[in-house]
Amino acid sequence: MGDDIRRKLILKQLDQANLAAGDEGEEENDLGELPSIKSNSMGSQKQSPNGTVPAGNGDETTWKQFFDHNERIKIRNRNLEFNTYYSLPNSINAPSIPIFILHHGAGSSGLTFATLAQQISSQLNGNCGYFTFDARGHGTTRPLEPSKGLQYDRQSYIDDFVELLEQFYSKHLTQLGAVKLSLVLVGHSLGGSICTFSHMQLPEHLRNKVLGVFMLDIVEEAAILALKNVHSFLSKTPNVFQSYQDAIDWSIRRGMSKNRSSAEIAVPACFHQMTSGKVVRITNLRDFEPYWDTWFVGLSERFVSLPTSKLLLLAGNENLDKELIIGQMQGKYQLVVFQDSGHFIQEDTPVKTAITLIDFWRRNDSKNIVIKTNWGAKNFTSQ
Amino acid sequence: MDMDLDVPMHDAIEDQQLGPTLDEDRETNSADNSAGSTNAGNVGQTPGSLEIDEVEDLHDPDFKPGSSGIADQKSAKPLELTNSTIDQLDKWIEYLSKCQVLSEEEVARLCKMAVDVLQFEENVQPINVPVTICGDVHGQFHDLIELFKIGGPCPDTNYLFMGDYVDRGYYSVETVSLLVAMKVRYPRRITILRGNHESRQITQVYGFYDECLRKYGSATVWKMFTDLFDYFPITALVDNKIFCLHGGLSPMVETVDQVRELNRIQEVPHEGPMCDLLWSDPDDRGGWGISPRGAGFTFGQDISEQFNHTNDLSLIARAHQLVMEGYAWSHQQNVVTIFSAPNYCYRCGNQAAIMEVDENHNRQFLQYEPSVRPGEPTVSRKTPDYFL
Repeated sequence: MGDDIRRKLILKQLDQANLAAGDEGEEENDLGELPSIKSNSMGSQKQSPNGTVPAGNGDETTWKQFFDHNERIKIRNRNLEFNTYYSLPNSINAPSIPIFILHHGAGSSGLTFATLAQQISSQLNGNCGYFTFDARGHGTTRPLEPSKGLQYDRQSYIDDFVELLEQFYSKHLTQLGAVKLSLVLVGHSLGGSICTFSHMQLPEHLRNKVLGVFMLDIVEEAAILALKNVHSFLSKTPNVFQSYQDAIDWSIRRGMSKNRSSAEIAVPACFHQMTSGKVVRITNLRDFEPYWDTWFVGLSERFVSLPTSKLLLLAGNENLDKELIIGQMQGKYQLVVFQDSGHFIQEDTPVKTAITLIDFWRRNDSKNIVIKTNWGAKNFTSQ
Repeated sequence: MDMDLDVPMHDAIEDQQLGPTLDEDRETNSADNSAGSTNAGNVGQTPGSLEIDEVEDLHDPDFKPGSSGIADQKSAKPLELTNSTIDQLDKWIEYLSKCQVLSEEEVARLCKMAVDVLQFEENVQPINVPVTICGDVHGQFHDLIELFKIGGPCPDTNYLFMGDYVDRGYYSVETVSLLVAMKVRYPRRITILRGNHESRQITQVYGFYDECLRKYGSATVWKMFTDLFDYFPITALVDNKIFCLHGGLSPMVETVDQVRELNRIQEVPHEGPMCDLLWSDPDDRGGWGISPRGAGFTFGQDISEQFNHTNDLSLIARAHQLVMEGYAWSHQQNVVTIFSAPNYCYRCGNQAAIMEVDENHNRQFLQYEPSVRPGEPTVSRKTPDYFL
């Protein structure tokens, strides 16, 4: 019996953590004061002509490598112009086609799902669709009238999500022969809370199409505890970098990203470039502080009781709260843990996450599943 | 889903051919962070969705079933206790009862003896009344001691445990060591079935693996116990009337005889009859259903009634689900769930229970609360630095 691999690994990780800690000193000079959203001219930021993420000098990673479409959707009654990305199934010949609706977490953007979406599509040979977007206060989603101000409570995010999903569905999916389609709501962190609480608010015709809710690394109790540490976390997080590349490198060095391919598309989407070439973080998380207490409260109870299929995918250690433990021990949902992933599971381990998502869809899709039984002549139907 | 095959796990993995895809994830990992390209074992609660880690683990000789060597010299006939082994076992039981761990070398000797007891038990282990039937324990050692106080000491009382001895609680090593030592010492007085947590994959996520590392400094003891788990019987039949197992029924198992035909000496498979017996749950809806757990199935009252009728049974007794009163009837008393870990995870607030079945097949439930003990571990959960 050889040495224990895992123990060696832990030591190695500790070494790396120490190295990363050593880096912090030099980083601190770069900590820029981030302007508040309110004082920031978010409505008038420079955008490339087609309204997408800045394309840079040409050899950078862009959304086009991951999504077929980038569409800006104006929703007057929500005072927002949303930046959305989507791809539609390349054919509708398959008997059943999943459409993954992806909601990012706070401080991130729709492009956090870029490499995951690419993986899903490649594993399903394009017989699938997916839709994601920048939530309010994130990425290049902008208020139509900045002077009116925006709320960042959970209900506002839910209303946005439901409205966007309705528009996407009626505009792009109904024409595809909706009978074959099923929607899987996928949310990372805060996005998981939004997907879970949106379920009951969807109009019936849409809710009937939802096959399940898939949450990435969010546990109510841990999230609420962690909110207390946000300020110290943010004080160690630079807001200004010399270039997109610097921002990517920092994110990888600090272990925020464990996968360079994902970081190259996801990290720049959280920054905008100044005329000086420096890049500045778009989302000032401190602005959301008055709304934090609305984001996660009641999540575990609601998730466990949702009348649909559910999967919770956690990174690192299993750290369920009481509601989730009871729910799991009563068999109410599926739990999967990726011990080698960081918080941004979809970025760190897109291949495994895609396998898990597709497996979740296949397993719970009544259009796919016939339960085989050898019990006598009597035929039992699957539910 | 093809439910026909009850394939050994390594076969199933070879079929999946996930290796190449996995490597892609690794190649994309940055050079200065190797955490993603290691063997940490990214394992899920559910066997179905994550063959990947096992690909890694099983390709590593250290994680291969049988690598502990405890079954290298199996006896051709059941273990016969000598005076000196009885003395040894009695000392171990006394020591373990004080919540102290055996040495690594002692665990090796214990597991080798246990293989020579368990390999001769049947997939459907026959048991006589009277017997006291118990559910999940999950490393809550002090509550196990409380259980023996409530139910009576072993061997005065006959016991049947329906699996899930390890994970989640803080004393999985002590708990499983004690139960295995009792099994070897009193093989006809105590029966220990396999639960879904008696598995290499699951124990890497839910605590037993880490606990072994913490208490022994290496994974050797974990390897010995998980190799031993492969030999645990998967069901028991009390006087041909009560069918006992950890999870529930399988759409591929219509008769008790079909359980006898399975090859159980293997890691718990991702699907198929053996997986279902350890993972399924009864449900209010009729027929078979997809299990929300991601493994096994749900089965309705019509299924339970038919199974009991076909096999001339009075009851299916199972564990696997937390029930707040410690026990719960379902399917109009065709199925009973028994859960024996009070205040599960030191925070769920549930009662625990065991079920006594006497010579006349009368059943009585004994409920109990968590044992009161000084120095109860406080549940401290570390706060992640993520929030969003």
